[in-house]
Amino acid sequence: MSRTTRLLVAFCFLLPAVLCVFLLRLWPAGLALRNSLIAPGDGGYSLENYRYIFTDPDFLNSLKVTLVYSVIVNPLQIGIALALALLVNAKGPLIGFSRTLILLPVAIPQSVSAVVWGVALRPDGQINAILVALGIEPQRFLTSPNQALMSIMLIVSWIGVGYWMTFILAGLQDIPKALYEAVVIDGANRWQQFWYVTLPQLRRPLTFVLVADTVANFLVFAPVQILTAGGPEGSTNLIMNDIYTKAFVISDPESAAATTIVLVSAVLIVVTLQFHLMSRGEDR
Amino acid sequence: MNEHSSALRYAAIILAALVFFMPLWWVAISALRPADEIFRYISPLSLQSFWPEHWTLTNIVGLWEGSFRRAILNSLFVSAVTVIVGLAICSMAAFALAVIDFPLRNAVFMTMVVSFLIPFDAIAVPLFGIMRDLRLQNTYTGLILPGIGNGLAVFLLRQFFLGIPKELREAGFVDGMGWFGIYWRIYLPLSGPAMISAALILFVFQWQAYLWPLLIAPAPQFKVAAVAIAQFSGQYDVNFGLIFAAALFISVIPMVILTILQRFYSASVASSGGKE
Repeated sequence: MSRTTRLLVAFCFLLPAVLCVFLLRLWPAGLALRNSLIAPGDGGYSLENYRYIFTDPDFLNSLKVTLVYSVIVNPLQIGIALALALLVNAKGPLIGFSRTLILLPVAIPQSVSAVVWGVALRPDGQINAILVALGIEPQRFLTSPNQALMSIMLIVSWIGVGYWMTFILAGLQDIPKALYEAVVIDGANRWQQFWYVTLPQLRRPLTFVLVADTVANFLVFAPVQILTAGGPEGSTNLIMNDIYTKAFVISDPESAAATTIVLVSAVLIVVTLQFHLMSRGEDR
Repeated sequence: MNEHSSALRYAAIILAALVFFMPLWWVAISALRPADEIFRYISPLSLQSFWPEHWTLTNIVGLWEGSFRRAILNSLFVSAVTVIVGLAICSMAAFALAVIDFPLRNAVFMTMVVSFLIPFDAIAVPLFGIMRDLRLQNTYTGLILPGIGNGLAVFLLRQFFLGIPKELREAGFVDGMGWFGIYWRIYLPLSGPAMISAALILFVFQWQAYLWPLLIAPAPQFKVAAVAIAQFSGQYDVNFGLIFAAALFISVIPMVILTILQRFYSASVASSGGKE
């Protein structure tokens, strides 16, 4: 069969998917880039929109909130996911079922989880009932500028931790038993086994989870928009909510485009770092 | 794991599972108890906080009679079409990328991989401008389109197709099949598990979607369940019985699917990056 025929056949098979890639990724990304370079009332290309957003207190606050949120929530989620994976990496009745229960929240739409947790975190909600039963003062949670971001972290962690656990668990089950046997002969205790065998062997899944989790947390939107709309006092104005607010609440499409490009760039930098980290590991 | 630690470990596993399951249990009992009892027994904690005194289907029935019905049917329809069309598009692309040897194949593959690294939600706002100009606002097409091209599904199916022996397709050519016959009658029937994984990925994406349907389909007759419940809960006079019934309904469908197909789901999760 000739090269031309094969090319033609491949073209037909690929056409719908290529159109999707173009329409759903490249065109909007390109459009956002173009719009971000055209300042309002100015026909030419310039960096004016970027200069504007980087002097805009709302945007700078949203960058700060996103950074603080990311620095806390990613290690927190990965730590819990790792602990859970180590815990449920056992055989026996009910253990598979327990894994499923921990994974279930990820199957629920985030908007539903947000609504449910919004009720549970009300002053008269479940969480305060539990606190009171434990002898702790009731808290304001989502209505307090000091606690709202932490409450969002609680919600997204309940949603996502079981999902990340699944990747780490798959990695744990791939570690050859012989490695443990070798260090046990050398007299390694539980902690040394974890430090010298488990952690190094989990490098790939942990790197992947770190990057995928970081990207996922950059994109958190539904809980913020539904529960706090970025408040109180901008304390939960994560970058996706900032883009949404710019585009649809205060109708500033140029700033929204520039902020979108900042977000896409951040995502691509994180993902590129992942490939870098993973390929470097293979050389060793 | 020695005998001594396993009892303790069991207790810890059960406790962790209960902590994660508790909010879901609370959704279920709130949906199945009279609406005026939802908040009555929250504090102080008592047996009724965890087990309703009276069970009722009033909320579920009310859900089906109210405006939520349309939203749930919309979600089901949009997700079903997404899975069917998405599987066709993604598996055809994966077939070309795995099986047909054509010039620039690696370049096309790399372009697709890199493009899909841009998360959909990040470009949802500019895409909304494009779709609005294409007059796709408040249409099912507008709702469905973003779900049908999925990079992870293409990647997963391509990996699976690469593992199918070359001899099978050569035998197909000898029997007079064309490329489409090879795809339809050899590759697809051999790819059940991978197709189920891909279907799950496509389904979950669409069933969970919130930002996109919020933008593209604000009209009541096109509203999907994930958006409807959020807007319903923001109203001044909220019927929490209906809210929890809706939450239960929207959650139960993916939870049942996930529980039954967890084997495939975990396999797709593992092959998407955790392992190589």
